[in-house]
Amino acid sequence: MNSTAQDEITDYVERVRAALADLPEATRAELLEDLPEHLAEIRAEDTVTLTDRLGTPEAYAAELRTTAAAFVGGFPDPPKRRFEPLLEARADVLRILGRADVKVGPVIGYPKASDFLVLLRPAWWVLRGYLAAMAVAYFLDAQSSQVGLLPRIGNSTFVALVLLTGFIVVSIAFGRRRYSLSRWPRLAVQAGTVVLMFIAIGGFFSADSDVRDPGYSDVGYSGNGNPYDYIQDVFVYDNQGRLVPGARLFDQEGQPINMGNPYCSDPDTGEVEHSRNMGFPFCPEAAPFASSAPAAAPAESVPPTLDATPSSPAAPTKTPKEPTPTSASPSR
Amino acid sequence: MDTTQLLKGVLDLAVLAALRDGDGYGYDILRRLRAAGLDEVGDASVYGTLRRLFAGGFLNTYVVPSDEGPHRKYYGLNAAGHAELQRSGKVWQGFASTMDDLLRERETA
Repeated sequence: MNSTAQDEITDYVERVRAALADLPEATRAELLEDLPEHLAEIRAEDTVTLTDRLGTPEAYAAELRTTAAAFVGGFPDPPKRRFEPLLEARADVLRILGRADVKVGPVIGYPKASDFLVLLRPAWWVLRGYLAAMAVAYFLDAQSSQVGLLPRIGNSTFVALVLLTGFIVVSIAFGRRRYSLSRWPRLAVQAGTVVLMFIAIGGFFSADSDVRDPGYSDVGYSGNGNPYDYIQDVFVYDNQGRLVPGARLFDQEGQPINMGNPYCSDPDTGEVEHSRNMGFPFCPEAAPFASSAPAAAPAESVPPTLDATPSSPAAPTKTPKEPTPTSASPSR
Repeated sequence: MDTTQLLKGVLDLAVLAALRDGDGYGYDILRRLRAAGLDEVGDASVYGTLRRLFAGGFLNTYVVPSDEGPHRKYYGLNAAGHAELQRSGKVWQGFASTMDDLLRERETA
């Protein structure tokens, strides 16, 4: 048979299948099981197309449907199942997964994606052992507030390593013997796996957020928790009392400190526009202390501009990052 | 009333009867039924009925390779199929004679 006829048959069967979409899966499968072979027989009888000989696939499906109705010796009723909708949904999901399995496989160089996943089984056994050890340590070691990456009990790394090794060994041994389990133990293992997955996902995101926000303090949450909340701009003065333009602030890790708000309001018009300055201050014209020109640096060690703020004698030199809070809201 | 409606009720019996004379594949059985005078019977009906009778345990099946063309799936009556043919055949004959009597009475009444 040539491939055109084969395509024609496949196409015909698919359209019949689509027209029978509302039948229970078991009945439909039963009806369609032999249809390709049967149509191939018919196609071989004659040179006319299937549609010419048999009518449209939809009409064929309609006729086929009547034979599925119950009459003498009808299809044995499929045994009643209690969770019919769930089972149907499961069948749908499995079908989609099966299709994805075949589609994805060649992309990663395997006939099926599941072939690759099977290779990963021992890796899963190790991971499962680790997760189980973590879960056990977590529940046994309730008083420890912070969970690390090892299954510590009483903050003992040694115990953690022993526990970890033991669980991984058991998990591997278990994985290799899995097939000999009977039904209930197998269900128990699967349920345990689901629980482990939940613990793993929860632990992963908890660890992720701890890494991203290591302080985990209430900075910024309570109204007066962060003493730098009010800062809109930063003015850096050198020890001559001169305003340093384009200053950049870094913490001990070399991470840039971003604070303030890079918008300036024009004192005359009140118009607000984005600062054109890279670094601090964003709005030099709003400096709280008049800065002496860099060219005419005064010789005094104490900047003369400080006269304006007698309440904070050492402010600019000692804490250059924080202009004294007493001169609050510098840019306003 | 057309024959198609009537046929629905007796298609199983018709197919079983067509297989009494020997095993056959789908298209072959369709030809036998048409040759016997059941012109309205469609291929889908025969195919579906064969599938259903097979699922019901009345037929056995085997594949015969063919030199020209695809392999053919043959169906044949098994013991249950023969028994069902007997039983259904009697039911049909009883029903048919009742209908005959009924029609005759109406004609003579």
